[in-house]
Amino acid sequence: MKRTFSLLLACAMIATLLAACVPVSSPPSPSAPSTPSTSDPTKAPDKGTATQTPTKPAEKPAKISVEIFDRGNAGGSKPEDNYYTDFIKRGMLRDHNVEVTFVAVPRWTEVDVLNNLLAAGDAPDVCVTYSYPTIQTYANMGGVLDMAPYLEEYKSQLTNMWDLLGDENIYYNQDPTTGTVWAIEALRYINTRINTFVREDWLKKLNMSEPTNIEEFETMLKAFKDNASTLLGKDAGKMIPFSTSFDVGWRCNNLLMSFVPDNLSDKEFYVLGFDDRQLQLPGVKEAVRKLNQWYNEGLMWDDFALYGEGDDTEDNLIRAGYVGSIIHNWDVPYSGAEQGIHSNLQKLVGPEAAFIAVNPFKNDAGKYKKVLYSTVDRKVFFPSTNKEPVASLMYIDWISTFENRNFLQIGEEGVTHKVLEDGTVQTISSRDDKIMNSTNNIDYTITINGLDMGSPEKSAKSLALGYAGVDKRYIESSFAAALKDGFIIKNFNVGEIKSEEGMGQALKVKRDNLYAQAITCPVAQFDAVWDAGYQDYLDSGAQAIQDERKAAYEKYYE
Amino acid sequence: MKTALSKPSVSRQQKNLNYFKRYWTLYLLLLLPITYFIIFKYIPMTYIQIAFKKYSIIQSPWEMPWAANNGFEYFIKAFANRDFLYALRNTLMLNLLDLVCGFPAPILLALLLNELPFKRYKRITQTIAYMPHFLSWIIISGLALQLFAPTDGLVNILLNRMGFAPIPFLNDPAHWVWTYILLGIWQSVGWNTIIYLAALTAINPELYEAASIDGAGRMRKIWHITLPGLRPTIITLLILSLGRILGSEFDRPYALKNSLVNSVSNVISIFVYDYGIKGLQFSLTTAVGLFQSAISVIFLFGANSLAKKFGERGIW
Repeated sequence: MKRTFSLLLACAMIATLLAACVPVSSPPSPSAPSTPSTSDPTKAPDKGTATQTPTKPAEKPAKISVEIFDRGNAGGSKPEDNYYTDFIKRGMLRDHNVEVTFVAVPRWTEVDVLNNLLAAGDAPDVCVTYSYPTIQTYANMGGVLDMAPYLEEYKSQLTNMWDLLGDENIYYNQDPTTGTVWAIEALRYINTRINTFVREDWLKKLNMSEPTNIEEFETMLKAFKDNASTLLGKDAGKMIPFSTSFDVGWRCNNLLMSFVPDNLSDKEFYVLGFDDRQLQLPGVKEAVRKLNQWYNEGLMWDDFALYGEGDDTEDNLIRAGYVGSIIHNWDVPYSGAEQGIHSNLQKLVGPEAAFIAVNPFKNDAGKYKKVLYSTVDRKVFFPSTNKEPVASLMYIDWISTFENRNFLQIGEEGVTHKVLEDGTVQTISSRDDKIMNSTNNIDYTITINGLDMGSPEKSAKSLALGYAGVDKRYIESSFAAALKDGFIIKNFNVGEIKSEEGMGQALKVKRDNLYAQAITCPVAQFDAVWDAGYQDYLDSGAQAIQDERKAAYEKYYE
Repeated sequence: MKTALSKPSVSRQQKNLNYFKRYWTLYLLLLLPITYFIIFKYIPMTYIQIAFKKYSIIQSPWEMPWAANNGFEYFIKAFANRDFLYALRNTLMLNLLDLVCGFPAPILLALLLNELPFKRYKRITQTIAYMPHFLSWIIISGLALQLFAPTDGLVNILLNRMGFAPIPFLNDPAHWVWTYILLGIWQSVGWNTIIYLAALTAINPELYEAASIDGAGRMRKIWHITLPGLRPTIITLLILSLGRILGSEFDRPYALKNSLVNSVSNVISIFVYDYGIKGLQFSLTTAVGLFQSAISVIFLFGANSLAKKFGERGIW
């Protein structure tokens, strides 16, 4: 008995070990029982049987489910059931006779959760994600509906969507050979991306002017360091002249870009452009050499590489006022209201303490060239389990209609915003059931990111008023600085690059490691560390991607 | 003739029936764990075939097409991947160090606790020692950063005050390995001691008395009575640890790693996470997992038969 039992125990243990190698997923359901014509992803809808046109009110309402990001913010409302979802539900039923339900998906693990939903055949009819490679992978497995035939057929009924997104965003991902459209791209209305910020009050204290080139910037960092006791008093030991995070590619991007030759062609930007932090561009090595020098001279935060994603150690150092300069998202010091950097500096350091945006990084042509966000944002796609592709497209059209999305962005007058004399809109944070879970309800306006008030001027003015407790001159100068000499990396539509499949995370980790290791190594070892790390990056798949991108570009554009 | 032939089978049936009547409650109890294993362990094992097939999210594993090279495409791909080879090396290195340093630690602690004359002190020490077992690695990594970060870490601040250079516990690969191993010991030593302490209570106290009469000192008694008494437990736990030599936990390396030490911290579980969960390359990572399990099973059997060869009982 004892023997059998121990045998059983051993078997069970082996089973546990073996089972550990199986990916977690529920048994995939066979492709859903399909209703004729429309749900079959391989067939274009033929006109005769063309779907239960959801616009006819007499019919039974079509039912669709829509993914919604759940940010889990404290004090927020239920993302799938609140004042704004009710607004959408009512509108869709009234205008298109479509019943909408929402499925909440956690924002920060959206890809993993979406993956499970798709595998289980439970994915919402309208899915949203930031990761195109994920959609491409699903599409290769047959999990995504081709939108192209529906777009063609119903174009005349989708005018609002077309007005907002245009051919560029709608056909952004169209395969040049097969013509498939797996996803359409939402519009990024505001393209500002990354800014350089320095402490305005420290500059004043040291009688320095804003740095306009990298030498002045370096002099400024050294001045911060040398005058630590003037600037920080008894906390002088905590002085960090320049701070960055483990994500160097982002958090030093404007500096990196200033070392890239001005005349780099669109083709080279494309071929070397897999990494969204510009690692592969020529000149970046020299930029990192500069950072390595600063690090070894004690001008940078020593421990930056130790704290990973989501850690707020660095944020706390910035809020506490120990940090002299950062490169970060264009509005990062001013966002976050009471929890934000600006408000904390004002509280902890004094009313004169503030970060101001500057432009110190010039390239070889004397321009402050920096990468802007392209016009695309989230990607909207329909999984192959979607039985109502037309109703789903109507949803996208409805949510792209100016009156609807504008209401979602600014909410109700007097509650979430007030209208000023010149017609601009100032947002007020609301705490009751009309609270917005994300800035301008970005999670509901799935086809646009950024406040659109109908005209660029009105939008920009309203934007500057959207930061509670921050003088609007900071926002305006930050906005202008972020746009100065900015450019959008051109998109080339060459279809799928096979070697990119599944490589995103692995290469991202390698990139971050390479940046961190090259910055922290001794100056004498810099070349060895960079060259070895970069070679490893190329050998691990980046070279194959470059080659395939080059060949694809030459096939379609030369 | 007929009856004579069927008689023994009847009596055996009878015997079985009686046996079952007597013990059916025990079997009923067993039913629950067996169902658990069938549903959550054995049925999912059919998904092992993903390693040999081209994964598709919408097909059942039985319908998926076979991978190239007679289904071994993903194994070939894995072994051609340098990251996987590094991960394999690091997994082996960290697990071997864990075994060499971490395995004897609870035995030593158990012996020390066993020799303590103050019962209450022993109990308190024991309780405190096993508390870290209940901390998640996320919390431990947070503590590690607070203590060992090069500029803001408490230990390095103290070293700095005393005029020493900071020790790069977390930011230099060689130091990181030792931090990793020692934190592992700190977390698990108390908990693993419990098993040895339990085994110690089973040793007949008369043996110690007899040894004392024969003039044996404390060390002699530990060497000739305590350790032999612990031997079966030690062997069983050693076999189980060897079965895990290529297994890799995820939270511990993932929580403790950072950009500067990936040359040693990238282990198989992190490889599977990066390429499988994040990169959606399920077939590749299932192949890696299967390889890992196969090696583990070989080690398990090898260690067991080795133990038997040396006259121990083994685990089956």
